[in-house]
Formats: sequence, structure tokens, C-alpha cells
Amino acid sequence: MNRFNKILSPLLQPLAAILVGLIAGAIAIAIAGGNIVETYSEMWKGAFGGFYFLTNTLARATPIMLIALGVALAFRSGFFNLGSEGQMVIGAITAAVIGLYMPGPGWLVSTAAIIAGAVAGGLWSAMAGFFDYRFRVNLLISTLLLNYVVVLFARYLVSYPLKDRTGSAGLNQTPMLDASVWLPKLFKGMPLHLGFIFAVIAAVLLYILLKRTVMGYEMRMIGGNPLFAVYGGVRRGSMMMTAMLFSGAFAGLAGAAEVLGTQYRYLDGALSSAGYAWTGIMAALLANSHPIGTAVAAIFLAALETGAMGVERNTEVPLEVGDIIQSVLILFISARLTYSFIKRRKGQNTDGTAV
Amino acid sequence: MEQLFDLALLNTAIRVLTPILLAALGGALCARVGLFNVGLEGFMLLGAFAAVVGNHFLQNVFLAVVFAIVVCMLFSLLFAYVSINLRANVIIVGIAMNALAAGVTTFSLRAIFDVKGAFYDSKMVGLPKWNIPIIQDIPVIGQIFSGHSPLVYLAFFCVALIWFYFYRTVSGFRFLASGENPLAASSVGLPVRRYQYGAILVSGALCALAGAQLSLGQVTMFTENMTAGRGFIALVATMLGQSGPLGVMGASFLFGFMDALSIRFQGLALPTQFTDMLPYVVTILAMFFFKDKSFMQEAQKQGTSSR
Repeated sequence: MNRFNKILSPLLQPLAAILVGLIAGAIAIAIAGGNIVETYSEMWKGAFGGFYFLTNTLARATPIMLIALGVALAFRSGFFNLGSEGQMVIGAITAAVIGLYMPGPGWLVSTAAIIAGAVAGGLWSAMAGFFDYRFRVNLLISTLLLNYVVVLFARYLVSYPLKDRTGSAGLNQTPMLDASVWLPKLFKGMPLHLGFIFAVIAAVLLYILLKRTVMGYEMRMIGGNPLFAVYGGVRRGSMMMTAMLFSGAFAGLAGAAEVLGTQYRYLDGALSSAGYAWTGIMAALLANSHPIGTAVAAIFLAALETGAMGVERNTEVPLEVGDIIQSVLILFISARLTYSFIKRRKGQNTDGTAV
Repeated sequence: MEQLFDLALLNTAIRVLTPILLAALGGALCARVGLFNVGLEGFMLLGAFAAVVGNHFLQNVFLAVVFAIVVCMLFSLLFAYVSINLRANVIIVGIAMNALAAGVTTFSLRAIFDVKGAFYDSKMVGLPKWNIPIIQDIPVIGQIFSGHSPLVYLAFFCVALIWFYFYRTVSGFRFLASGENPLAASSVGLPVRRYQYGAILVSGALCALAGAQLSLGQVTMFTENMTAGRGFIALVATMLGQSGPLGVMGASFLFGFMDALSIRFQGLALPTQFTDMLPYVVTILAMFFFKDKSFMQEAQKQGTSSR
């Protein structure tokens, strides 16, 4: 019973929030004039109804998982890294440049592109950490604003120096990468690519890092109680930069994997408008930054998105219903719904002094 | 340089700083009661959308602005309930509010107007432009301060109002005290929660005005995500201004000026991507000079907070 409680009680909070989110979604569906049951069953079919849809959901979950893991690492260390979008974009554009211009055999180029993407994302993110540590520039705000800077810079690159001049379309994008550097698909004809394996490995590695290493312990300590950690001799500045470096590297990897596995080029706005970064942040929040839980939450949120696309294909309800469900459940995720309920129950048993 | 800096530039700066100033004042109110409101961006977006919806259906600019205020206050009530009563992490709630605002506005754009991306209606009337009788005849000042929408003047009036409230009224003094040390304030019987609710609701209303200025001020349309980070810039303006109304006004003027400058640069041969970057880069640079509280102070303060 005790063991059962230990597994179940952390799940109670997210499940309550998900329920609230689904209720909000139902209200939105009703307002848009849709049938609630039919819409939700279409959503299920769009996300998991058949092997193609399942792999499609997992393919969409790939960048979200990687970003969410990076954000989870930063959150665990007590730093709000909201710059995943920029870190992902800088990883993606770096991977695209390496993929286009580096000579050599395909496997070498794609390995180099993946690594370069992760390094670029990590350094960009560590820069924000350095600013906070050295100059006390608020990390939350600086990471947010750096997103705009790097997205605009990438837009400049694909609008002028790197622009694809071969196609007739006026899209701002790089030329297509050579097929030899593409990440292989896991199943023939399905959108799922090798990046998903990277994401799963990353989740396991992060779990080991946080739970089984000294550095992970220090990170959790500084996130849990910064004063205690500093008193215990943890160097906050270098910890912050390390955490941000890894956190950004995950996001950079996500961008690189998207370019090499799905898009095969850097297309302006393709990564930002899909909202991978914000969904990733939400996944980390939903799972309270537990590495394995974060991966599961990322798949769940990706399923909401691919499901919403199915809803839009087959009903009158717009696909943004997925966004509404996501945001409402995050709104309530850190609210102490279950907490206050339990506390009230307890209050009845005691003399009623509980607030 | 002649063509870069002239009075029209300052006139533009006054116009574009208004949404930032209004939202930043809302942020300052929240910051003063110990709530870091990251949701300014979302409230502003909701305000912009609600103003256009109100304008379309009510056919009246004044009612449209009132409608925007009502909508934003409802959403800020949700923000307040979740972060004060349910004791959620304010930053997470703010992030969720931003996402919710983006979702609700795009969803409603499809559900109400059946369009994607942007809504424009030629029949809609924007905010009027006011020419202040005496001031418009004064040579330099007239060119800068005249011919703006009423919300621009209202924004500056709000600065004065909040300054007066903070530093010249008893209630304002208690408001500040309840933010400075909530535990001490509630121990002497101040209704800390009521001040927090008030701050969030007023900040919602101010963000609604900011949004209305965006969607009904210069252009009369709504586009998805039209706030484009202005809420976050307003957040920085709040921080730079140390959450005081006059400081916030100064910081907003800096960002408004940069925004106006970036609009002006577009006329030159520079790629627009770099000119668009200017407000964000300047904002980051500004943070180097106006330092945030150190984390030790922050952590120690958290230990004494009752919330």
C-alpha cells in the first residue's frame, strides 16, 4: 500500500490538471459548435489511431522531448530557461550550414552537424547563464529576449546569404541537404526518424545524471534550496553555466535533428510556428521536471497536437483547441488542487485550525 | 543623420511607447505586491483581440475598449485565483496565461471570424486622434505631443495617478507595505490578498488598454501574436524602472524610442531583420546597467514571505 501510494501520489496532481484541461477543451469545442464526444474521439484517432498516426505523433514528440529534457534540467537546478526556441533555432541553422558545406562522407557530415548543433545551442544558452552569473542580467528575461534575436538572425541568413535560389518559390529557406546526410527513418514510409532514439537515450542519460552522479546531486540541491547548496560549498555560478550549457545543448540537438531528420533544410519559421519550444517547456512543467516523466509528458502533449490536427481535418473545430487544453492544464499544474483538497479533509478531522 | 532624427521620430516614439508603458505600469503594480507577472504579454494580446471583437460587434470604439477591459479583467481574475488562492508558482501561471492567450485568440479568430492569421474589416473605426487645443500650436512640443489617440494621454495620466496613489495616499502606502513584507503587513491587519487581487485586476485593465492601442491605434486590425514580445519588453521596463511609475515611464521611453528608430531604419538599405532586432538587443544591453537584485537577497526574502 505504501509503495502504491509512493508511485501514485505524484501522479495525482498532473492527472487533476489534465482533467481540468480536458474540461476547458470541452467548453471550447461546445462554443465552436462541435460535438464533444465525437471531437475527442477524432482527437484520439488523429494521435494514436493506426501505426502511421502513432509514428507521426512520436515524430512530433521528438523535438518536444529533447527540448523538454533540457528545460527540465535547468528547472531542476532552479533556473528558468525560457530560451529553448532560440537555442533550437541556432542548433538547426548550424546543423543546416554544416550539412550543406562540410565535405566528406554522409555519415561523418551528419554526425558533425548533430554535434555542432548541440554545441551551438549549448554555448548560446551558456552565454545567458554567464550574463546572469557575472552581470546579474535576469536569466528569465534574457533567455526570452535572446529568442527574438536569434530567430531574426536566422531569418536574415536564409533571406540573403544562404537563401535557396534554385526553387521558383519565394520561401526563405536554405537549399535542400544531400540525401546522404539525412537521418534514417526508423520505419519505411513513416515520419519517425533516428532523432527519436536520441531523445529516448537522452531521457535515460538525464535520469542517471540527476539521480546517480555528484553533479546531478549538486544541481538538484541548488534547485531545491539555493542557500543550503551555497552553504554546502556548491559553486552556484559554474553550476548555472553548466546547467544552461547542457540545457541549451538538448534544445540545439532538437533543432539539428529536426533539420536532418524531417525538414532536410532550414525553413524560416518552421520551427518557431510549430511551437516546439513552448510545448517542451510545458512538458517539463507537467512532469515536474522528472526526466522519464518529462519524456512521457512530451509524447502526451505531442499527441494533443497531432490529435487536434485530426480534429481539424474531420470536424468543424479549429486545431487550436489543442493549444487551449495544453495551456489550461499548465495553468493548473502548479496550483495545489489536490493539496488544498487533502488539507481541507484533514482540517475536518482536527480542530479546524487549518487555514 | 538629418533624415534620421526629427520631431516626427519623437512623435512616433510617443505612440509606440504607449502599449509598453501601460503594460509596464501593470507589471509595476504586480511587482510591488510581490507578484512577478510574466503574463503581461498574454493579457496584452487578449486585450488587442477583444478590442477588435468589440469594435466589430458593437460598432463603437469606446465600447470596444470597455469590452477589452472586461475580458482582460476576467482572465486576470483567473490568474489571481490560481496564483493567490491555489498558491501556484506565479511564473508558471504567467507562462500558462501567455500560452492560453495565444490559444484563445487564434481559436476565437477561427471560431468567430472564420479567418486564419489576421482579421481586418474596413468598416471598423480606429481610435480617434486628439489634437490638444493649446499645445498643438506650440512649435516643438505640439509636433511631438499632439495628434495621438486618447489612450496615449491616458497612459501618461496613469503614471501620475499611480505616483499619487503610491506616495501620497494612505492606501497606497499600505499597498507598498504589503508587497515589501507580506507577513508583517498581514500581522498588522492589512488585507494583503485584497491588495494582490487589486493589483492583478488593474494590471489586466492596463494591459487591455495597451492591447487596444496596438490593434485600434495606428492600424485597425488583429494579427496572430501581434504583441510580438512587447509584454516581455514591458516586463524589463518594470524592472529597469524599479517598479516606480516615473522610472517605468523613463524605461518605456527608451524602448519606445528604439522601436521608433527601428521603424525609421527600415527606410534605409539595412536588412529589416537587423532593424527588427534593435529593441530586443537594446533591452538586453539595458539590463547590464540596471542590475537585478542578487539571488541571495531574493532567496532570503523568499524565506520571510508568507505566501
